[in-house]
Amino acid sequence: MSPDEIVQHLTDATGAVERSEVAHGEVSVWVAPARWVEVATHLRDCGHCHFDFCTFLTAVDLEAEGFEVVLHVYSVRRQHHVNVKTVLGRENPSLPTLSEVWLGANWCERETNELFGIDFAGHPNLVKLLLPVEFEGHPLRKDFKLMTREAKEWPGEKEPEEVSPSQ
Amino acid sequence: MGLVEQVNFPKPAKFILNWGRKYSLWVMNFGLACCAIELIAASTSRHDFIRLGVIPVAHGPRQADMLVVAGTLTDKMAPALKRVYEQIPEPKYVISFGSCSNCGGPFWDSYSVTKGVDQIVPVDVYVPGCPPRPEALLEGILKLQERIGQESLKDHFARRRATEPIVVGGGPIHQTAIRDE
Repeated sequence: MSPDEIVQHLTDATGAVERSEVAHGEVSVWVAPARWVEVATHLRDCGHCHFDFCTFLTAVDLEAEGFEVVLHVYSVRRQHHVNVKTVLGRENPSLPTLSEVWLGANWCERETNELFGIDFAGHPNLVKLLLPVEFEGHPLRKDFKLMTREAKEWPGEKEPEEVSPSQ
Repeated sequence: MGLVEQVNFPKPAKFILNWGRKYSLWVMNFGLACCAIELIAASTSRHDFIRLGVIPVAHGPRQADMLVVAGTLTDKMAPALKRVYEQIPEPKYVISFGSCSNCGGPFWDSYSVTKGVDQIVPVDVYVPGCPPRPEALLEGILKLQERIGQESLKDHFARRRATEPIVVGGGPIHQTAIRDE
């Protein structure tokens, strides 16, 4: 399906699409957190969609607006992509797990959990994947403090921001 | 080790002992990132560090004389490096190859990268660069061999960190890196 057809199909079939965007031939649809698993299950099971491969699941820190969880899925059979996004509040962000829908979402959710502190309810094993076990905090949150500069002076002559890439 | 750590050898015996040691350095390749590719390039035919007596790919740390840490060491990997270092029998030498292993390099601000392997293991030679060219490693090896040739094993065992580390290309080690500690 073409990007526009995907948006049209998802709007008709699930009624969960709040808004959509097509950029560089890639389609993004935003859904409510409450419809997250329902939409994902439809994407996998519907014969028109047939999204059988979960490429990645991650999040974006939007600061005041909360966190945007991004799911990218691909259909090997139909060779089309879709980004499914949902926005969560900043306080105790939580989303139901997709590890029952695509097994590949399991590790993506563990990674998103440790890096952004987003809870995935119903996840079978929500422990740290990449970070050391004793690591505290969620380093990809924009309010995460990089402690190196607290302990040591910046050793360079210029701050990275002062040097533009062209120089 | 027995005798070598207790007596000062007469000069000819020391010369022969050190001559043997400095031209058969079995290297433990602790390749962690892109610098490991330059390290491998240094071992292959164009740069060929085997002609200097460096024997690549020891079967394991217990057979090695020299540890080359090439690449970005993360805090999660640090215990593994410590463990490998401690498995290497004395006398052992450590080359820190590349900016990341010297001081964290471009990842200095990162939440997960160790800012210098010298926090974990004592370093004998620093090779700066991002990544350094294989020639830089060759120079580091030559300088290290020079030092091995002159050293007394008794002193080596008595005070492991007495000697100043070598910096390839000269220049001071950065003030904030380790010298203040």
